[in-house]
Amino acid sequence: MSKKYAPIVKKDGQLYFYRFSAHQRLQHVVLFTSVLILALTGFPLRHAEEPWARPLYDFMGGTEVAPLLHRGAGTVLLGLFVYHTVYWMVLFYKNHLVKLRRQNNLTVKTFFKAILSLEMMPNKKDFYDIIHLWKYLLYFTNRPPRHDRMSWREKFDYFAPYWGIPILGPAGVALWWRDELSHYVPGIVLNAAYIMHTDEALLAVLFLFFVHWYNVHYAPEKFPAATVWLTGYLNEHDMIHEHYNEYIRVMIENGLEHEIKPQNFGGEEYEW
Amino acid sequence: MKKKCFLSLKLLIVITCFLSLFPIQAFSGDELNCVLCHKHRGLSRIDENGKFRLFYINQELFDSGPHRRNKCKDCHTDIDRIPHDPAKKVDCSQECHIVEPSGQRKFSHKSVAETLAKSVHGKLDENGLPKEHQQDYPDCKSCHDQPLYRPFSIYKGQKIPGIAERAMSRCKSCHTSGDFAKDFYEHVTTRLHKTRFPLETIKVCAKCHGDEELRERHNLDDVITSYKETYHAKLITLGSERPPDCIDCHIVEGENSHLIESKLTPSSSVHKNNVGNTCRTSECHEKASEQLAEFQTHVTYEREKYPLQFYMLVFFKALMAGVMYFFLVLIFLELMRRLFPKFTFFKEKKREDYHEYVQLIKDHDQDENQSKQ
Repeated sequence: MSKKYAPIVKKDGQLYFYRFSAHQRLQHVVLFTSVLILALTGFPLRHAEEPWARPLYDFMGGTEVAPLLHRGAGTVLLGLFVYHTVYWMVLFYKNHLVKLRRQNNLTVKTFFKAILSLEMMPNKKDFYDIIHLWKYLLYFTNRPPRHDRMSWREKFDYFAPYWGIPILGPAGVALWWRDELSHYVPGIVLNAAYIMHTDEALLAVLFLFFVHWYNVHYAPEKFPAATVWLTGYLNEHDMIHEHYNEYIRVMIENGLEHEIKPQNFGGEEYEW
Repeated sequence: MKKKCFLSLKLLIVITCFLSLFPIQAFSGDELNCVLCHKHRGLSRIDENGKFRLFYINQELFDSGPHRRNKCKDCHTDIDRIPHDPAKKVDCSQECHIVEPSGQRKFSHKSVAETLAKSVHGKLDENGLPKEHQQDYPDCKSCHDQPLYRPFSIYKGQKIPGIAERAMSRCKSCHTSGDFAKDFYEHVTTRLHKTRFPLETIKVCAKCHGDEELRERHNLDDVITSYKETYHAKLITLGSERPPDCIDCHIVEGENSHLIESKLTPSSSVHKNNVGNTCRTSECHEKASEQLAEFQTHVTYEREKYPLQFYMLVFFKALMAGVMYFFLVLIFLELMRRLFPKFTFFKEKKREDYHEYVQLIKDHDQDENQSKQ
């Protein structure tokens, strides 16, 4: 983790917890800008017969400009995908591999162990958290799950583009360079690319606008919008709600153990 | 009262006849003064088959159409007096009295009718026998309702579609008499681009190919729906004129546009030996190889015919349903959970103090750190 950022900031008597560096927030801005442009220029085409399609497409530049915007945004998104992959690999190298090598402890086993210990990697706890969440939602317990630094939902949000872009991107590139590609593969590949591109895009957009936007916009405690993507810091209430284990750890590390608050949910303090 | 009515009717007839003497703008070819009656918007009757027939002629529309230099009698040959008996259907392949300037012959659509007869839409099969369901096969007017000139501008700076007056003035410097220059200009420029907007062409084909009963009678796929799934159709729907419509692919480049052939006919543009080059027509997929044509344009997603597309679609729909239902149910339950945050069926037996949990985490982390070292 970067040392530039204080793990806890106190402002107006409120505690704020560090989540994302400026670099990561910038990547998020590039990500959602390109995805929004892609959706706005792609979906009128996907649903060309609908009455809203033509006005929206014309607003996005019409049949001459919108495809260029779509391809431009797609290129940026693919670029970001590559950039981000290199980004976490470099971080992984700096934070884990170098350390292991210094300790003369770099083997295949420790290498994979280090990969599995990455904060975005799904693990056993996520599995139990999901089961616990269902137990909680179905009233079998009244204690909400306690997540670590990254909850399974955030990991799912993170891996959604990580599986979506490898499907959407190459299919989009194939449809874009169809003429050149036809010298190497038969045209039926484009049939496959068409289904991959349109259907995966629908899934991505549905997921974004319903699930992700629920998490950061529609949910009662977030409405109208969460601010962590702008400031990089999460307030104490949401931290307790979403990352209770991480909350306890950070408070202890920063000598605030005596100020730790109990878990709460739905505006009510959880009864211990 | 009755007398008064009769009187006013008489008066109406007199006024009508009087006004008819001064038509606002008569057809150039209206020798028999047909418009005298046919200009009335309500001129109509129910024919023997019980069908409503409108005989009104919109002069403005007619004057901007390609037949405006024809006399009424050129096509409606059986009418020789007024008032006339029910007229016969117009036979488009007869000779009309227009003399074609290039050959000095009387003009006729006969060759077009012959081409149509040779195409997949012809009424006779290769042995000269009538095909089944004769009434389903198109004649001229099935596709061609009165088209309008849609000339485009080839004069610099002009963006509005229509006649470029400054370009026309060059014709007019010699062709001074009558409307010849205008007619010739429109005749040529109309054919320099798609007369019909691509959507109209698709609509024309959909008249029959979009008819489910007709498709069943002739064992045809729903090519209209499958075409509308392609990017070609989608871009057209959104206003582009560049992508191909039905006739662009289904007619051999340079061939008469009435010669649409079955994909099984060896000379057809979509026969498997030719379709590769059809896709590579100039300004379409010029840089592509013939393999591009292995793209399946009219995909119906039937399992037997299109297994790849069928199973891919099933996979993606299942994935989408799985992901979305899981999360939507989760969100719904979560919102419901907020209504009774404290309620639970099973109270946890051990009611720990949260300070104990903090200690638990502390110990757990310490253990982990020690095991790492």
